[in-house]
Amino acid sequence: MAEDLVLDTAIRDWVLIPLSVVMVLIGILRYFVSKLMRSFQVPDHKIVKEGQVIVRARNLRAAANFIPPKSFRSRRVYFSNEENGLLFVPKGQAQNAQAQMFSDPNMAMDMMKKNLSMIIPQTLTFAWVNFFFSGFVAAKIPFPLTQRFRSMLQNGIDLSTVDVSYVSSRSWYFLNLFGLRGLFSLILGEENATDDTQRMMQMSGFGFDPSKSLSAEKDGLDIVQHEWALPKFEHRAEAVLKKLVS
Amino acid sequence: MVSKTEETQLNRLENQVDNGGGGAWEYLCLVRKLKVRRSEKVLKYGLSILNDPKKRSALGPEEWTLYEQVAIAAMDCQCLDVTKDCIKVLQKKFPESKRVGRLNGMLLEAKGSWAEAEKAYSSLLEDNSLDQVIHKRRVAMAKAQGNISEAIELLNKYLEIFMADHDAWRELAEIYVSLQMYKQAAFCYEELILSQPTVPLYHLAYADVLYTLGGLENLQIAKKYYASTIDLTGGKNTRALFGICLCTSAIAQVSKGRNKEDKESPELQSLAATALEKDYKQRAADKLSLLTSALRSLKI
Repeated sequence: MAEDLVLDTAIRDWVLIPLSVVMVLIGILRYFVSKLMRSFQVPDHKIVKEGQVIVRARNLRAAANFIPPKSFRSRRVYFSNEENGLLFVPKGQAQNAQAQMFSDPNMAMDMMKKNLSMIIPQTLTFAWVNFFFSGFVAAKIPFPLTQRFRSMLQNGIDLSTVDVSYVSSRSWYFLNLFGLRGLFSLILGEENATDDTQRMMQMSGFGFDPSKSLSAEKDGLDIVQHEWALPKFEHRAEAVLKKLVS
Repeated sequence: MVSKTEETQLNRLENQVDNGGGGAWEYLCLVRKLKVRRSEKVLKYGLSILNDPKKRSALGPEEWTLYEQVAIAAMDCQCLDVTKDCIKVLQKKFPESKRVGRLNGMLLEAKGSWAEAEKAYSSLLEDNSLDQVIHKRRVAMAKAQGNISEAIELLNKYLEIFMADHDAWRELAEIYVSLQMYKQAAFCYEELILSQPTVPLYHLAYADVLYTLGGLENLQIAKKYYASTIDLTGGKNTRALFGICLCTSAIAQVSKGRNKEDKESPELQSLAATALEKDYKQRAADKLSLLTSALRSLKI
């Protein structure tokens, strides 16, 4: 069934390239708009402190073997103590974090703004693509695919005998959506608001972030077996000096 | 901490600029990046760039960073009118800026009007209570006024929130040592070792503090840390070598009669002594006799 369809070069000139150009331009526009609309978010005391606590606990875990056992143990108790240890988050509080985040008006506004700036251009562009560029074969994917992908990739094309490698422009849109991230980080610098996929991933792991990472650190700390590395150093110093003196 | 390559690069640029070759701008950028304190040179070369309108326009937007750098250097050298000019220019350009507000606070500090500077800093902190630099400036102010206990209190409060800031831990450790509060200093040095275990400086300082505290256990731990310093510096650190000799003889004195120490590293002291003698022979041959007599008295 694999007949080679000859695709008109006009398709390339008038569909693929303009679509990519338009997406790049929309991305740049979104970046500047988000820069203008960005409100300065006052960092919360607790969040900063928690971040720092995590860094300190991680350092403790990493370099535990460099300090004497007594100091390590006292620090471990300080961190994971049942009543007022830094890493200990009682169960009730963990739930509150997410609820608090949604009820705080500032943060809700911020989230809405970010979502809006992401959803609206995407929806508009998708509708535009569907309206103008549907009903014909836009490109051929270089590798063969199974029939399952037909509904996804060949949406406007109502012929069921066309090889699944021939896709509509909708799939070209999606390809661009995910693929232009690299291009944007090149031309716009590291911090660009067009990083949709990253933001989508961030949104799902939102509210539980602080308390979960705290308890993860606490568990990690509880596991650590302290093995004081310093006695070894004495022998190594001896060896170094022997070499130096001889 | 400045690495060796960076240090050589800095010295090279400094020599180049001193002897009339170009490269003043790269030198200033490097100084800013490494955060070293070369205020006189920064002032001299920064002013030469700023006063020349052609060079100034060649900088573009970096001009304002240079103004800030020169303002701070001028404050360090007590050229307060230069500072005032720089701050005026910056304020005209960025009227509502927090950075300029901070420079103003520093100028008040440099003039010695502590109360006004404190007021300026508190108002800046009201806007953004998590500004690390302003907190640290308040600590520096308390220390400069001689009010060490308040400096300690402020620093402790700062560290409660920003506990991963190792510069702050280092400052706190030095303050404690100056006040002879050695146990607390030991805690701070432990924090430093935890965050940067491969920096020999912290091991050495920790060992010093433990040795000063005294007591058999502390002396043994101190000896181990001196050994780790020797290991980390390849045996070149004279202070650590001395530390080993002193520790071993102190331990021998304290545990007279209880000989459970010998199993660990019997040769360390003699090796350290030999290394010291070799070092002195190379670098300060006339003091060698002092060294040998001191070492001999230790071995009692």
